Amino acid sequence: MHTTTMNFQIEPVTHDTVVIRIGKALDFRNAADFKAAAQEQVCSGVRSFILDFNDTGILDSTGLGSIFSLYRQVSPMSGQVVFASVSRPVQVVVQLTRTYKVFRQFPSVDAAREALR
Amino acid sequence: MEVTRQHFIELHRVIDELHGLFEEWERADALLSHPDPDTIQLFRLAVHEWVANLVQHADFSNREPNITLDVIPNGRRVRCVIENNSEGFPFPEQLDVQRSALTPFPERGMGLLMLNAATEYFEYSQTDDGRRRLEFTVSSEANSCLDIPFS
Repeated sequence: MHTTTMNFQIEPVTHDTVVIRIGKALDFRNAADFKAAAQEQVCSGVRSFILDFNDTGILDSTGLGSIFSLYRQVSPMSGQVVFASVSRPVQVVVQLTRTYKVFRQFPSVDAAREALR
Repeated sequence: MEVTRQHFIELHRVIDELHGLFEEWERADALLSHPDPDTIQLFRLAVHEWVANLVQHADFSNREPNITLDVIPNGRRVRCVIENNSEGFPFPEQLDVQRSALTPFPERGMGLLMLNAATEYFEYSQTDDGRRRLEFTVSSEANSCLDIPFS
């Protein structure tokens, strides 16, 4: 079942893994919404997050900060945050900030889903 | 692409207008005559970070915000000048503050550092008529990075 929480479509994979479709932008305008949506999932027991960047044209420093915040929260609980279907604008940010050292990347959501099952 | 100048006056719409413009240019291949696609994305990121900083933090006092963007393709580089009529701030000093305050996996305080990393060169100054002027160039050949601590 898909749910849409504050502009982010969220799709369960297992009881503790979800896909979050980031959509067109994750930036200073909606980073707080992303944090709130992710927080709601963490409170429901979700520990692993697949972030789908297929349609994403903007990932800025504040958006990246909100992903760091999620990572800080779930990593002590053996959770993980992975990137899937990374668009070119997001890839440029990933390269510039060397965050590929922290967030595993998958070519598609399906590939990420398989890896995290 | 020719040298182009754009004006923005509504802070709540400027980010949407900017990215609408970038998408229009990309659809028309207007920015791709010389620079490679990664340079274009670095250009978009640098402009976004600077304008996002203006939207969130700039003090325009009682003036109607006025932002101009000049884009000057220069071989494999893109040169950009952004002027605005805000009060301004000590950019280099603030950059040092952000750099020294960077904690592992920071949630905030990366905007100016991201701009610095995305650009090959930048200069922040005041024009003769009192406007704040940021000039920078971007090129993916610079291969720079923002050194975020991960532990």
